[in-house]
Amino acid sequence: MLDILLIRALIAMVLIAVVSATIGSFSVFRGSTFFVSGIAHGALAGASLGIFISLNFFGVDPLLIALLFSVFFAVIIGYASHRSENVDIAIGVMFAFSMSIAVLFLSMIREYASVAWGLIIGDVLLLTASDMILLSVSVVTVVILFFVFYRRLLFVIFDPESAEALGLHVLRYETLLFVLIAVGVVALLKCVGAILVYALLIVPAASSRRLFGSVEGTIAGAFIISLISGLGGVYLSIYLNVAPSALAGLIAAIIYSISLFR
Amino acid sequence: MGSRYRGVRNLSAIEVKNLTVRYDGYVAIEDVSITIDHPSLVVVMGPNGAGKTTFLKALLGLIPYNGTVSIFGKSPRKVRDRLGYLPQRERINLNVPLKVRDVVLLPLISRKTGIKRYDVKRAKEALEAVGMVDFWDSRFDSLSGGQQQRVLFARTIVTDPDILILDEPFSAADVRTKLALIDLLHKLKREKTVIIVLHDINPLVECTDRVILLNRRVLAYGTVAEVITEDNLEKLYGTKIPVIRQGPVCYVVGGDRHA
Repeated sequence: MLDILLIRALIAMVLIAVVSATIGSFSVFRGSTFFVSGIAHGALAGASLGIFISLNFFGVDPLLIALLFSVFFAVIIGYASHRSENVDIAIGVMFAFSMSIAVLFLSMIREYASVAWGLIIGDVLLLTASDMILLSVSVVTVVILFFVFYRRLLFVIFDPESAEALGLHVLRYETLLFVLIAVGVVALLKCVGAILVYALLIVPAASSRRLFGSVEGTIAGAFIISLISGLGGVYLSIYLNVAPSALAGLIAAIIYSISLFR
Repeated sequence: MGSRYRGVRNLSAIEVKNLTVRYDGYVAIEDVSITIDHPSLVVVMGPNGAGKTTFLKALLGLIPYNGTVSIFGKSPRKVRDRLGYLPQRERINLNVPLKVRDVVLLPLISRKTGIKRYDVKRAKEALEAVGMVDFWDSRFDSLSGGQQQRVLFARTIVTDPDILILDEPFSAADVRTKLALIDLLHKLKREKTVIIVLHDINPLVECTDRVILLNRRVLAYGTVAEVITEDNLEKLYGTKIPVIRQGPVCYVVGGDRHA
């Protein structure tokens, strides 16, 4: 039993590294890292609502509600970013609203709060077969869309005004990027939890951005750093008997600290 | 790809009628009506906050407006492939570690899956025109401000547009960059329409066909000799600015005006 859980954890860490390399790198390029943190808490609010609905009304996967919540927020923030240059306030409001929703529903389902707690801190060693399917489908979808629209996303991030002048629909592509981030975040929620999503999605990409000198280099480097952090976290957790995502986050943070000296 | 309007003379490239742009109730430009011939070089001058960039964005169809903007008889959105835009350099996100070749190739390949040899050839020609082809593999964010400006200029001309819309192309440009771009503009204006926002008209005064003095409204529109007068500049900037005349050419003393 342990073997299959361990294999799932290792596969999950590879998939997380793919998300970090693609979505994480572009979030760093765009300077949307606060958005990642905000959307993770939006996903948590959605999951809390999902658990509440499951317990009181009808059966529904909390992660599905988390996905709907996150995508909804992504579309709102995409629109806000198009209207205003600084979206930090909009993200901050979303952050506060999400946490209020999360706390509200968690306080109403106290006896099942451990389920929600699993989404706050996550556990990559407890992934079920259905979790793996959700993770795989989400990551494959994100990666396909990412590479199909790769150059257009890059152009829109680099110089939105010129991209728009040349006929690219900036609002559409920025919203697409935000939605991809939202899907990526929800995919990671069960594995590493809302708090540590940032650690494994953004920190490897931020380190790689400092260490490597090109877009492609940053993407490749983020994959390797995220993979080292994730696999290192799983490996150490077996010996230290602590949460693997926390160790992975620590390794990623140490690598980032080292990158600062470059 | 050749310019559709190459060799065409005295065609109205741009017709603007009663153009008004509002941002959240604030009127950025009001009731602007002008006609710009093709090919020609038109300089837009005005103090900070006069609506110069807003005017350019309206021409490009990037912002909502009231009134009519017609480019070669069509709305700006329908002729975007014929427009080249150089935004102010500060609008560029230097956090993206693009190489110089990527920056220039993006307009050509952003909608494609592969890169054709022809695209690379055009990108190299555009960089050659601004003297930056040796920086093909350099990181864009590692270049000086002037070098970045030249690369962005190359990106603007790489699609061979009929109309170039340039927002302060000489800002942060060193003398070498300025001279390179001025030389290129002299050549480009023979076949293209160039609309250029400048604080200092002096470097281009000899090849400028028309000048727009803009301060939310058009204060004056005409040739350099007609428009660049001490009275007009005083109305525009709110301060006395001497003008030296040499035949049909006139120079603004203390050229750079940000008032």
